[in-house]
Amino acid sequence: MYDLKKLPNQRENEKVILFLRRQWFSILIIIVAFVLLSGVPLLIAWYFWDIVNTWLFDTTFGPIITIVGSMYFLLVWLSTFIEFTDYYLDTWIVTNERIINVEQEGLFHRTASELDLAAVQDTTAEIRGFMQTVFNYGNVFVQTAAEKERFHFININNPEHVKEIVTQLVEDDKKRLASQGGALIGKVKILGK
Amino acid sequence: MFDLQTFSVPVSIFLIPYGLYMAVFIFYCFFNIYHLIRYGLYGFGLYIIITIFAGGTILLVSGSIFILKEYDWSQPIFLNNIIETYSKDLFKSW
Repeated sequence: MYDLKKLPNQRENEKVILFLRRQWFSILIIIVAFVLLSGVPLLIAWYFWDIVNTWLFDTTFGPIITIVGSMYFLLVWLSTFIEFTDYYLDTWIVTNERIINVEQEGLFHRTASELDLAAVQDTTAEIRGFMQTVFNYGNVFVQTAAEKERFHFININNPEHVKEIVTQLVEDDKKRLASQGGALIGKVKILGK
Repeated sequence: MFDLQTFSVPVSIFLIPYGLYMAVFIFYCFFNIYHLIRYGLYGFGLYIIITIFAGGTILLVSGSIFILKEYDWSQPIFLNNIIETYSKDLFKSW
């Protein structure tokens, strides 16, 4: 279990500044899909109840239809929760020293990576399209200095504000590093004595 | 000699694929809960999510078993019976 007060490999004086997940719109899509996939068959069954009732009481078709129906609704329930888990476990944690990126892709693929703030060269906020403009969500791209690697904060709330905070934190981290006589080699921060 | 019209299998034969399906379903459910507990963010929200998921799963599985146990699974399925039922009985309310 992740605890924001006890991050993995937490450094001295490291504090969590931002904890980000995809915007609520992502969860709304999952809920709407669940309601449609479970509600539409139930509505159809209710509308054609006389026929469905005949089928259900048939000694041959009744058990088969019930099994198929049970399998269908269990699948809808499980798929919804797998999608939700995917949403819930996709997180970005910005501290005053680093960015931690955790991505869950299905149940069997998980990526966790981190980046020192001092290694960040460029931060870009992107709001694209009607929905993102109206609901003020979008992407933030964090580009590192030495490599072509980018961290993507996908469909997060208020990306411009997040970009400003990250930029400020990067500046602060670079100043702190310089004041301590440290250096940055690639993505590795070497602290001075 | 083999006669297709008198050939029959019990309805319970459909419980075999259903049982396999349920085994896979329960495996995925446990794995999903494990993921949430192992990698989720510590807090009250996580407990609510796990309770809803586990509760809904138990409700659906027990509901399915409750409905399915009402059927007589020893009933044989005859091919000619299926054809007759399909053509005469199933759409009689239309």
